[in-house]
Order: sequence, then C-alpha cells, then structure tokens
Amino acid sequence: MEREELIKKWLDNELNSHELEAFKKLEDYDDLIKLSNSLMQFKAPEYDSTQELHDVWHAIKSSKSTVSKKTHWMRPFMRIAAVLALALSVYYYTTTLDTSINTLAAQKTSIELPDASQVSLNAASSITFNKHDWKKERNVTLNGEAFFKVAKGSTFNVTTSTGTVTVLGTEFNVKQRDNYFEVTCYEGSVKVTHNSNIVILKPGHSFLNIDGKLIATEKETSINPSWINNESYFKSMPFAYVIREFERQYNVTITPHNINLNELFTGSFSHNNKELAIKTITLPLNIEYSFKDSTTIELSRD
Amino acid sequence: MAKDIRDNICDENLFSSVFSKHSKNLHDFLYYKFGEDLNPKDKVQEAFIKLWENCGKVTPSKAKSYLFTVANNLMLNEAAHKKVVLKYQKLKPKTHTNETPEFILEGNEYMDKLQKAISNLSEAQRTAFLLNRIEGKKHKEIAELLDISTKAVEKRIYGALKKLREDIKEI
Repeated sequence: MEREELIKKWLDNELNSHELEAFKKLEDYDDLIKLSNSLMQFKAPEYDSTQELHDVWHAIKSSKSTVSKKTHWMRPFMRIAAVLALALSVYYYTTTLDTSINTLAAQKTSIELPDASQVSLNAASSITFNKHDWKKERNVTLNGEAFFKVAKGSTFNVTTSTGTVTVLGTEFNVKQRDNYFEVTCYEGSVKVTHNSNIVILKPGHSFLNIDGKLIATEKETSINPSWINNESYFKSMPFAYVIREFERQYNVTITPHNINLNELFTGSFSHNNKELAIKTITLPLNIEYSFKDSTTIELSRD
Repeated sequence: MAKDIRDNICDENLFSSVFSKHSKNLHDFLYYKFGEDLNPKDKVQEAFIKLWENCGKVTPSKAKSYLFTVANNLMLNEAAHKKVVLKYQKLKPKTHTNETPEFILEGNEYMDKLQKAISNLSEAQRTAFLLNRIEGKKHKEIAELLDISTKAVEKRIYGALKKLREDIKEI
C-alpha cells in the first residue's frame, strides 16, 4: 500500500525529501526510472505556437477570400431575385391597392366600375373600391352621396360609416352625410342594413335616417335622383341639411343668423345658378340673404 | 470567470492569446491520443479556424472545451480507430562508444517493447500518462485539460504505469 502511495506521489512529482529516500529504496526504483527516462523519447514533436499562430491567421485570411469566391456564383442570382422580388411586390401592391375617387365641393363625376356598373358621385364625396378583388366581391365604400346603376351579377355592397346597402342588380341612390343616411331605390330591390335594422326597399321607396331617427318618406316617382339632373330636391327636410347641401354644391360658406334650422323645407334648388338657387331656398321661408364675398353668404331674418 | 468581460472572442488579440494558451496543450493531447498519422498540427489549426469562424458564439471561458471538442471530433472523423503507435526518437549512435553492442541491442529491444506496450494502453490512459510523464504536467493540470477529476487522472496514470510494466515483463 505504501509502495503504491509512493509511486503515485512520484508520478505527481509530490515526493518530499523524506519520501524520496523511501522511494529510492523501493526494489523497482531502477526499473521505474529506466521506464520514465525511456518514455521521454516518445515526446511529441516540437510545437512552435508562434509559428502556428501565424499559419492560422494566414489560413483564416486566405479562407476569407475563398469564402467570398464561393458565394460569388450566387451573386448574380441574388440580384435577379432581388429585382424579381421588388417587381413582384410593386405589382402586388398596385393591384391590391384600393382605387379611390373623390369629388370636391361643387364637383360631380361619373365612374364606371370594373363590371360596367355606373356610379355618379355627387359633390364633396368619395368612393373607394378594389379592382383586383372585384370579381370575388363587389364592395364599394362610400362617403357622401352617389347614385348607383348596378349591373346584374353577384352581391353588390355599398358600405358607409352608418349602414350597408346590399343589392344584386339595380339602381339606387345612397346619401350619407354626418348624421344623415338616405337610400332610395329606383329599380330592382335594395337591402339596407343600418345598425341592426334590415330593410328591403322596392322601387320608389326610400330609407331615411336623420340623427338616428327613422323618418317616413313618400314614394319617389322620378326615375333618377334629382341631383343627377343638377337639381337638389327636398321634401320636409330640416333647413340645416338644405344649407349644407347648398354649401357642397356651390362651395360656399353659409352663416345663418336668427334662423330656426329645424324648420322643414320642401322644394328644390338648381346647381347651375347660384343667385337663383339662393333665392329659391330663402324666399319661401322669408329669409334675407347677402353675399359677403364670393364664398360667404349670410342669412338673416328680420 | 473573471476573464469573461467579453462574451465572444472575435477580437484578434484575444484570439491570439487564447491560441498561445491552448494550442500546445491541444496539440500534445491530440498527439498522445491519436498519434502522428492524423496530423495533429493540422487538426489544431482547423480547430482554431473553426473557433474564429464561430467566434461570436463562443465565450472566452468556453473556448478551451470548444477547441478540445472540435479537434477531438475532427480526429474521430478520420480515425477508424486504428491502433496508435507512437514513434520514438532513435538515439543517434555515437561515433565512438564504450558500450558493448549487446548493451545497445538490449536498449533497442527495450524501446520496441515499450512502444508496443504504449500502443496497448487505452486512449484515456495513454493521453493522461504521457502528458504527465513526458510533458511533466501535474495531475491537476491534466484534470483541467480533460475536464475530469484529479482522482480520475491519478487512476488513469497509475493504471497505465501498472499495465506498461506488466506488458514489458511479458513481452
């Protein structure tokens, strides 16, 4: 046991002088020393770490250049791929982009939708639709007033902030202004969804909602909304809405003084003659008007 | 480890210092474990190049075990576990000697026996034993190098010595 301990200590070079003496007296001391000395001849070849480090750096630097050469053949493909990706994304972006058409005050316009449906857009309105998705679903977002002649086909939706109008193929007018939402059907049938109400309109019927209140309307007899013929027609309409429509049609600002804006007005005004038009809406209600400048009109009652 | 101020070794100076600290140990380890045929020098170089390529992922404290693992694997990929025979330097015959030819012959015989005995050791025994005997490494240093306990190192070395002596006597 002691012998083994001594040899182990010798192996770890931990013998003290006393133990060394004991170790030397071991019978196999000569044997061990011979073995130990002979082993030295199996020494690994010299390793010059400075030189090797130099070689490693050299290999790393040269491998860097071979790495870049390796990727070299990829580069043209990468370029082509980048251009393709860019072109594809531009194509995708433009085709999925919504088409938007706006009219300013005192402006009207007519649009043909991708399926030959007709839309007439009244003043200060905007309409948005997506050409790309048109075949899948006919969806139009409306802000303002527009008259639709919808070609027969799949469901046609007009979405406004206050309600949705769904039809198959028909002619109808949608007017959505502030708290005002009116749908008039001229041909076919129209489904109006407003909040949770669903109303189906037959030709000549209207759906009118002002400030959240449903208002009964008389049957419409004309085949087009009046504004298509450059005239605005009102039946028992609070005067405030008449003024707002006038402002849109002539791009003016009207400032009323001492006037009951809830008074009901029935009648129409033309979109072609400002002077005549202001007369037709003020005279019946006994209101004075005066032009402050070209875009401001003041209304007052004595 | 106090040295771990950085979390990688992508710095050239740091890499160089890691190299000078570990490259010789790594080389000796590979040499005694796998012998000369598989080019331990090249494997050391390859391992360090791999370390540089992955320098962002290796912290300084992990560098040693990373190098040893990579180099060991590189070796294992090539070594079909053939028997490792270490060469010994033939002592230059002295031009004039007063040793008898018998004595020289005996010496050569002994070396051949020793060589055979060494190649009969297990890889683990041989590596630990030769690092200790030839490179003069303490048990503790070898334990750190191989990531094993000092007790295990002691066992391997003593076991190797025992086996060597038995083999030499037998042959």
